[in-house]
Amino acid sequence: MDDENGLEKIPGRGAAKYQIDHWWWLVVAVAGIVLLLSLTQPDPYWRIVKFVSDGVLVTVGVTLVSFLLTLILGLVIALGRISKNGFFRWITTIYVEVARGIPLLVQLLFWYFAFPSLIQSFGRLLSLQILERYHANPYIMAILGLCFCYGAYMSEIYRAGIQSISKGQNEAARSLGMTHGQAMRYIILPQAVKVILPPVGNEFISLLKDSSLVSVVAVADMTRRGREFMAANFIPVETWLMIALLYLIMTLIAARVVAWIEKKTQTEER
Amino acid sequence: MEPTPIIQIQNLHKHFGETAALNGVDLVVHQGEVVVIIGPSGSGKSTLLRCINRLETFQTGSVIVDEIPLTTAENINAIRTEVGMVFQSFNLFPHLTVLENVTLAQKVVRKRTKAEANAIAYELLEKVGIPEKCQGYPGQLSGGQQQRVAIARALAMNPKIMLFDEPTSALDPEMIQEVLDVMLQLAKEGMTMVVVSHEMGFARAAADRAVLMDEGLIIEQAVPDVLFSQPTQERTKRFLSKIL
Ligand SMILES: Nc1ncnc2c1ncn2[C@@H]1O[C@H](COP(=O)(O)OP(=O)(O)O)[C@@H](O)[C@H]1O
Ligand SMILES: [Mg+2]
Repeated sequence: MDDENGLEKIPGRGAAKYQIDHWWWLVVAVAGIVLLLSLTQPDPYWRIVKFVSDGVLVTVGVTLVSFLLTLILGLVIALGRISKNGFFRWITTIYVEVARGIPLLVQLLFWYFAFPSLIQSFGRLLSLQILERYHANPYIMAILGLCFCYGAYMSEIYRAGIQSISKGQNEAARSLGMTHGQAMRYIILPQAVKVILPPVGNEFISLLKDSSLVSVVAVADMTRRGREFMAANFIPVETWLMIALLYLIMTLIAARVVAWIEKKTQTEER
Repeated sequence: MEPTPIIQIQNLHKHFGETAALNGVDLVVHQGEVVVIIGPSGSGKSTLLRCINRLETFQTGSVIVDEIPLTTAENINAIRTEVGMVFQSFNLFPHLTVLENVTLAQKVVRKRTKAEANAIAYELLEKVGIPEKCQGYPGQLSGGQQQRVAIARALAMNPKIMLFDEPTSALDPEMIQEVLDVMLQLAKEGMTMVVVSHEMGFARAAADRAVLMDEGLIIEQAVPDVLFSQPTQERTKRFLSKIL
């Protein structure tokens, strides 16, 4: 943000159009392998792709919904952690420690198997029919589990980003009469976004990969569909090779998009 | 006619943990008065200014600004809109254009329309001598220009009081005067100002009173010429001998 840098970048802005990131070739290469295998040996490879295709949509859907909710949850928790109110700080800190201290797989198992049981027992205790008959929807529980865990990590990223903005920015905003919320919204968060973006992108990729764990709580994602195909056909090498390649394509694309967004915000930086 | 007190500080104590910053400060500033505060580093000058608009909380004592005592959150915001502050490190908002820096708080705090805010901003930017740079970003300006934008930003809120915390200390020597000129102009127009600065020329030309602080206390205060040339306190003499 030096004077010199600022002046130099402005004229270059229009001219230096974004160039195709050369790592896209890796995405193309992996997609090419999948295509080649499917074309040359439709049985089993194309059969596998067709069989798990609905699982691909589930994986993408669960990841996107969880990610969006995590973005909101993370912000709320981060604001709690930097709050002046001791109670908010206390409760959000406990949440972060708990959510980061338990393996995600165990958390998912808890939300899907233990949590509904607890609700049912609670319902019997109060003789509440609705609670007694409570039945967990695997998709909702999977998303809940992913958000609960990732919200904690995301909040730490937000917090670091917010705290990286100098105190003087907040003081200037407050001295102009802005409230805490206005200072956050107009001054701190817009500046923190640039700091936060790269790690948030990485969280997205982790979330995409960790979403495979939801296969253990009855969500028919790509991994679970792969297991089903395996169980029916007994060809582990071909099945898991294909599933691995499909995940790889998705994470590689996500990584390119993250890199693109990062670069875009960096060039817009004055 | 009695001059109206606009800032009344009584027996102000402030400590950061173990460190005492203010040890019982009493200070009254009248409407239209320009007060310059000098003193060694760490003597509590910044803390005193920051207590006036409650960027810092304090332990005991009272601060009354324009007859509003500093108590509740509402009072704090009421006072902050009446008190403008200029910082040593400018603290312009780097992600906003120069124009937006001056209009943002007008819009979100004063609820002015964009057109109103822009008109006021153009007028003030012209007054502080920032021509045609309104669409640029603060990072493209020199330090002196940035500080003048910061002054315009504070003035846009129509404050009754302006606080300056070492506004020229971070500037290259050749840029100091352009900022001081803007401050002199403001003083001439009758703005109430409390200025932490060791610019003796400015103090002599603009200030009604100079105040020497040391170790969280006001040691001595007088008309600048008198304080600088005939100090009565040993600590004032020692300090002046170092900076003059
Ligand atoms: N945020 C803070 N935390 C802890 N100590 C502080 C803080 N701000 C100021 N102090 C201490 O308070 C005293 C007064 O500081 P300050 O008001 O900044 O002095 P000055 O502006 O006169 O140099 C110093 O001893 C300083 O170390
Ligand atoms: Mg200071």
